[in-house]
Amino acid sequence: MMNTRSIRFRLTVWYAGLLAGLLLLFGGSTWFGLAHYLNRSLGESLAKQAQQIGENFLLDAQTSGESYVIEEINEHYSPEQNDHFVRVTRADGSTLYVSGPPISKGFDPARVPAAPLSSGRAATRGEHLSGAGELLIYSLPFTARDGSRFMIETGVSYESTENTLRGLLLTLAVGLPVVIAVAVMGGYWIMRHALRPLDEIASGAERITSRNMSERLPVGRSGDEIERLSLALNRMIARLEESFQYIRRFTADASHELRTPLTVLRGELEAIAQRPRLDDEVRDTVGSSLEETERLARIVESLLAISRLDAGEAQMECVRFDLAELAAATTEQMRLLAEDKRIRLECQASGQVEITGDRARLKQVVVNLVDNAIKYTPEGGAVGVVVSAEDGRAVMLVEDNGAGVPADALPHLFERFYRVDKARSRQMGGAGLGLAIVKSIVAAHDGQVEVESAEGKGSRFRVELPLLKDN
Amino acid sequence: MEVTGAMRLLLIEDEEKVARFIVRGLTAERFAVDVAGAGDIGLELAQAYSYDLIILDLMLPGLSGAEALRRIRRRDGHVPVLVLTARDAVEDKVRHFEIGADDYLTKPFAFAELLVRIKALLRRGAVSRANTLRVADLELDRLSQQVRRAGQRIDLTVKEYALLEYLMSNAGRVLSRTMIIEHVWDQSFDGATNIVDVYVRHLRNKIDEAHERKLIRTARGVGYAISEDDE
Repeated sequence: MMNTRSIRFRLTVWYAGLLAGLLLLFGGSTWFGLAHYLNRSLGESLAKQAQQIGENFLLDAQTSGESYVIEEINEHYSPEQNDHFVRVTRADGSTLYVSGPPISKGFDPARVPAAPLSSGRAATRGEHLSGAGELLIYSLPFTARDGSRFMIETGVSYESTENTLRGLLLTLAVGLPVVIAVAVMGGYWIMRHALRPLDEIASGAERITSRNMSERLPVGRSGDEIERLSLALNRMIARLEESFQYIRRFTADASHELRTPLTVLRGELEAIAQRPRLDDEVRDTVGSSLEETERLARIVESLLAISRLDAGEAQMECVRFDLAELAAATTEQMRLLAEDKRIRLECQASGQVEITGDRARLKQVVVNLVDNAIKYTPEGGAVGVVVSAEDGRAVMLVEDNGAGVPADALPHLFERFYRVDKARSRQMGGAGLGLAIVKSIVAAHDGQVEVESAEGKGSRFRVELPLLKDN
Repeated sequence: MEVTGAMRLLLIEDEEKVARFIVRGLTAERFAVDVAGAGDIGLELAQAYSYDLIILDLMLPGLSGAEALRRIRRRDGHVPVLVLTARDAVEDKVRHFEIGADDYLTKPFAFAELLVRIKALLRRGAVSRANTLRVADLELDRLSQQVRRAGQRIDLTVKEYALLEYLMSNAGRVLSRTMIIEHVWDQSFDGATNIVDVYVRHLRNKIDEAHERKLIRTARGVGYAISEDDE
């Protein structure tokens, strides 16, 4: 389906409309102009003919005789052959000469009404004959040398003019749409050609994500607006890359720098905890401090892992394995966690689902999602893992019938440190980084993870990864 | 145990406080420890004396840890070297072994883990894996994979057995959750925060529930241990 909002389409429609309008105007004026010209030249030739008949044959009709006049007219003009009408009327209204029926039988000369004699001047009139089209008739009052007066009428059928005009109309009616169609197609093609760099820029921009920000858009050295656009976009990407790198470097450096003090803290606290005969209260305080130290260490570790994955700096193993087998084995290892809460944990797979990737990290994805599902499912609930291959993608679903996630929290679920229920999840010991890690690992495998959930009914996480292309 | 207090270790670590608690802990375990605060000093000491084991921090002033290790290896291919690193464990794993480390530990680590690894490295070459492990009246037979308490056979799942074997082969020592996860499961389970606690609870039910004398003990904030003596 054509995109009716594209510049290409809109420009083509605009100029096709304009072109059609102009061509119609041009065709119309041509038609009217031609009709006018044809009528005028027809009138002029009739007038000339009448003039000649008068001056050549009627001027001395008295001396040369009327039969001479008839012969001469027939000889010189042979009106029947030429589809012409000629009539010479005497002053008393009687006919001196009238041409015979023309060979085209387009009209009957005998039935042409007489010219109104009232006006003593030459005139052009149209005579509509019933069932025989229209005649253009020129009437010229003429006075012979001896003073006797005649009315000379010459006429011709409009038919030839009408034929010519009809031909023009036909040409226009057929030619105009063809010309417009060719112009539209040509214009569309030219437009597509001219706008192709824009498409390339768009698809190039689409490819650039936070993981490959060092890439740039293609720049055609055309010196035109499109080159300027891609250069401007590239400069913008460069600025974005810089700030992204800054954030990443900050996260990585911060995590790094936190490790040494954490090591000292943990070491010193452990040394105290190991002392024999320690006051119970002190032992409890030290133990609690150690727990927090460990949590801090875990957060630092996770943040560093995420920032490395997102920066594409993580060294990824790339082995071929069966995702269904990995999910089944991992789920099995976590069974006790589920049984502990009397949750039914099941893993289904329809045959092998082979992918390539970092097995340990993808296992972490399974662990984090299943652990998450078990955590937020009440006692007696159910958690299901389903692995399948769909349309060239490996799909893993992790479903539960637990508390679910409120709709307004869904878009934030994979953000770092996001907690749906602040108090409750902290109690569970998480740092709010488990799902962020899942997202980073999946993204590093060119996959994606989504979640859908209905509050009170449960959640379904869907991980999609590229399937191994046949062997 | 088979490792005696006559062992002499070299610690090359520039962070004074880290060095201090390691030395304190190792001294308590009856090791003799020399400390070098910079890479070049450490290298000199390593070349001048014969150590049983070297603990080497990778981020050092003077001479980088990696370079120091390369030079140590050039002279002595046998001394076990345990690398301490502030970098991500999985990332540099291969590189550490490539430059000649025997084992590595990522900061922040539990002291218990450092100790376990040191002892493992020192024991190497003379591994005497007893077929039967004993803690009080609890007995684990590695050949038949059977566990008995006071002569009564106890049925364990595969993971429970692995957990108990790990605890018993380090009897009397507190093992951190991280150590247990990495040994019994693998690093991928780091995210499953309470998996160790759940398994230990189940193991307790089978081992200690019916008996007056409790063997598995919790060291809050540190981890779990199995030992004969009550607290």
